[in-house]
Amino acid sequence: MLRTALRNVLAHKARLIMTVLAVGLGVAFISGSLVFADSTVAAYRASLSEDYADRDVSVSPKAPPGASADEQYGALDDALVRELSTVAGVASVRPTANGSVTLAAKDGTPMRADSMGGRFAVAYVPGPDGRDRRYPLTAGRAPRGSGEVALDRGTAAAAGYAVGDVVTLAADGPVLRPRLVGLVSTEDSRVNAGGTLAVFDMATAQKLFAAPGHYNGIDLKATPGTDQFELSDRVGAVLPADRAEATTASAQAAQQSLFIGTKTKSYARLPLVFAVVSLFIGTFLIVNTFSMLVARRGREIALLRAIGATRRQVVRSVLAEAALVGLGASVLGFVLGLGVASVLPYVLDTSGDLLPSGPLVIGPTAILASLAVGVGVTVLAAWLPSRRAARIAPVEAMRTAEQPPSAVVSRVRGTVGVIMVVLGAGLLFTLSDATSATDADLQTAMFGCGILMAGLIVLAPLLAVPVIRLLGRLTTRFGVVGDLARDNTLRDPRRTAATAVALMISTALVSGLAVIDRSTSEALDSQAAAGLSADYVISTRNTTTAVDSAAVRRVGDVPGVRTASATADSTISAGPLVKTISGVDPRTVDDVMTLRFLSGSAKALGPGKVAVSRSFALDHHVTTGGRIEASIGPGTGDRDEPYTVVGVYEDNPTAQDVLGYRADVQHHAYLRDSVQRILVRTTDGTVSRDLEKHLRAAVSDSPLLKVQSRERLVEEQAGVAGELMTMVFGLLAIGVLVSALGMVNTLAMSVAERTREIGVLRAVGMDRSGIRRMIRLEAVCVAAFGTLLGLVGGLFGAWKVSGLANGAIPQYSFSLPWDTLALVVLLSLAVGAAAAALPARRAAALSPLEAVAEA
Amino acid sequence: MSQMFVSPGVPGGPGVPGSSTSEPAARATGLTKVYGKGDTRVTALDSVSVEFARARFTAVMGPSGSGKSTLMHCMAGLDPVTSGSARIGDVELASLNDRRLTELRRERVGFVFQGFNLLPTLTALENMTLPLRLAGRRPDTAWLDTVVATVGLAGRLAHRPAQLSGGQQQRVAVARALVSRPEIVFADEPTGNLDSRSGAEVLGFLRDSVRELGQTVVMVTHDPVAAAHADRVVFLADGRLVDELHDPTADAVLDRMLAFEPQGSRRTR
Repeated sequence: MLRTALRNVLAHKARLIMTVLAVGLGVAFISGSLVFADSTVAAYRASLSEDYADRDVSVSPKAPPGASADEQYGALDDALVRELSTVAGVASVRPTANGSVTLAAKDGTPMRADSMGGRFAVAYVPGPDGRDRRYPLTAGRAPRGSGEVALDRGTAAAAGYAVGDVVTLAADGPVLRPRLVGLVSTEDSRVNAGGTLAVFDMATAQKLFAAPGHYNGIDLKATPGTDQFELSDRVGAVLPADRAEATTASAQAAQQSLFIGTKTKSYARLPLVFAVVSLFIGTFLIVNTFSMLVARRGREIALLRAIGATRRQVVRSVLAEAALVGLGASVLGFVLGLGVASVLPYVLDTSGDLLPSGPLVIGPTAILASLAVGVGVTVLAAWLPSRRAARIAPVEAMRTAEQPPSAVVSRVRGTVGVIMVVLGAGLLFTLSDATSATDADLQTAMFGCGILMAGLIVLAPLLAVPVIRLLGRLTTRFGVVGDLARDNTLRDPRRTAATAVALMISTALVSGLAVIDRSTSEALDSQAAAGLSADYVISTRNTTTAVDSAAVRRVGDVPGVRTASATADSTISAGPLVKTISGVDPRTVDDVMTLRFLSGSAKALGPGKVAVSRSFALDHHVTTGGRIEASIGPGTGDRDEPYTVVGVYEDNPTAQDVLGYRADVQHHAYLRDSVQRILVRTTDGTVSRDLEKHLRAAVSDSPLLKVQSRERLVEEQAGVAGELMTMVFGLLAIGVLVSALGMVNTLAMSVAERTREIGVLRAVGMDRSGIRRMIRLEAVCVAAFGTLLGLVGGLFGAWKVSGLANGAIPQYSFSLPWDTLALVVLLSLAVGAAAAALPARRAAALSPLEAVAEA
Repeated sequence: MSQMFVSPGVPGGPGVPGSSTSEPAARATGLTKVYGKGDTRVTALDSVSVEFARARFTAVMGPSGSGKSTLMHCMAGLDPVTSGSARIGDVELASLNDRRLTELRRERVGFVFQGFNLLPTLTALENMTLPLRLAGRRPDTAWLDTVVATVGLAGRLAHRPAQLSGGQQQRVAVARALVSRPEIVFADEPTGNLDSRSGAEVLGFLRDSVRELGQTVVMVTHDPVAAAHADRVVFLADGRLVDELHDPTADAVLDRMLAFEPQGSRRTR
């Protein structure tokens, strides 16, 4: 039977090629996403892996949070370094002053400014030979004094700097402009995976990252034969208690790998969604292909049965054929997947610096998963057609006349389908009363959508008849060609439905997601704009950096600026919940924020006084005039202070959860005494390129800061939903591609089956263009049917699910993205027409003599 | 084509298409058809010259492989000729491109096939009017009624082919060939798939269409009984025209067949 299967595969290779492609596509996404995940994890690991090989024990400072730099790093000085070098078992001591600086590239673009880390800065620690062997110089010399810096070779190349250039950079406050005097290379994988590295001399590094004359770490190397933990204990004994602590390198490495593990878990999720969708859609294609093959080979199978093949042998032969096809598809898919994996980083990471870079890593999981899924899905999908093949009676071998295709669709199917649709829709309707997006509600929503879609899939063959009849009203404009196209599409509703289902699923997913995305981003837009009356916002890229206080004054002095209101951002803990707080200036806050106070006012803010948002007030059961016990700033839970509530305002993203007096907040900011935002109101609301340039100049073009007009800010807020749109268009592309393959397949098969009929049409006077048009119209009919069904399902689902968002975002309203929907419809119809091209050409090339050829 | 639109008001007499009765409806001159190349080269028709007179029922006979089907395909514009000339009326088929040839088949030629070859998705009536609709013409109702009545399908017009018997299907096919009032109808073994009674019916309709409607019919067959319905029988053997017979009887046809059958080498094309 295996030999028969192999021969069948070879005989029908043209038929099977579309199936192979479709399954291969699904496999490609699976292997692609797995390879991508493996590679990203490897690169990520590299980017996070500090090399602990060159040390055995590290000494780090210990101080309560919020302590000043002198308090914090006071213990780590040259005296301690000397003392440590005398501890038994210490081979060498290396003090460090490491930190983070953000570089601006030569054209002013901040480098890796939006990523969590990867902006390294170190002190050059010359050894006995005057060189730091961790950072061998490749050009120029080591930096000396605060006016000089060296960069990693790769960093300099990416930034466009050459030795001699002035480099713009900032640690956590003011902008520095040292001269680039040297280039170094490094084996630090964190830098080589895309991080930036700046090298300063020790005095400068101490000033920037610790305190003058003090270090922020001391690395010790043990003499051979000394145990890390013993050494760590001995070192700990000489350290001033509560001021510094010793850790072994192996403990640090263990902690690091734990951290990396949690960080990299979610990387493969998006591509896997694509894989599932394309395989799911592909399944219909496979079922369809094998059904058609079995139908076409009915006589042949009957003959096999007549000469003594058992049912089981027939089933096995079909399944073996499927397994061979699946195997081919897996191999193809795996190769395609490597392409997917190398393209994915660019698709997922448009800014180019969030994902680390590295070579492709091909793990055994990716290979095994590709094979298992490719073969598994194909064999499973072929199972139903194989049962059908087994039911072919031997007597059918004797039958000469062509069997008319049956248009009968079982009543069971109708009942089951209707029940599922009603159930799914019903589940979605129960959400109408939901006001918040709880997990349970979301699950109900997903479940409801799933059942609804499954119901539509089951019902599709039944719906095909009325819907395509209706579409026939349009095709009949093409005359008899249109009518024939309509009738041909109706000829086998089950096949038509199976072909259309691929488009239906992708259309439903895409239209549903697009609607939710549009509605959400519109809501976010109006929400972001709602609280803000400032025309410009200058903000730090993360909360651990600050706007330099001199800059606030300079911004206020820019001509055209009416108000420059500095805002300090921090957290506030009241009870178990950590909320955000904005420290503002009560005199100017009304000019830059649109605050709708339910009671009280911002004017009453002062030391020890706060205003809270409505939801905060509800959560903490306070009203204007009440008091809350809270602490501002991170890690300060045990020193609550009383604050008087002077007002309650409508929730507002600009004001955050709590408004406080700036000095109160500033004092407990992540960076002590710093501000994170300047809200700028211009005279007459002027927004101009010149003004923006002046504002940037006022903050010294710092790579740490963003200067955004209100419009830009709103755009950025809406950009949160951008990933969803990437997914929407990704799904659209996959759905369209797989359904195109399916359509080509079905059409080619149906042309092959109708050879004689097409010959008759040619003989009685249909010209080639008529044949082509007929096949094209058939494809468009199928595509239109799938699209229509998908739109109905998708829009209904989105409409009901969007009720959930209504609770979460007050400004949410159901909104239709006409442009995307139009694109979906046009693309689907175009796919129909395009998929028909090849089969139509083949059909048109048939000779009228086919009509008289012997069967 | 205006010559084809003769007043439909005269039942049973649409008139003979064409201006002159002396000119044949179709004519082959030195018609040669060669299949394949080199070793597999087969000469299916070897310089055949024959005329098919208007308003006559001509049968083309011959053993299997004699080239009778090829002759019909070439005359009907279904298969291009290798050399020589095939004409419908005064139109040389070799001079037409595919599009013109398609139009010619649509407007001036009717077909009846052995395997009925109706479109399964269309009703009997839709099948009958298909060539007209393809030409973008409206069926002439009176003429359609005449044809439908002639083939006796009035009660079955809404049926699909699968709901009709073989004989009924072939009658639909005959009606399809007649409805557009072609200059010539080619019938390829029209009774081959029918039992003898249904076959006789179909032959009767073809003959009636010639006698009563003035239609020109050319029928390929190897059945002497079928050939006996024709006005004239031409005999082919080995791709050559070998004989002909006027007003044949089945016995006479059989005699002629037997006369050259033994010498005819069998060939499969």
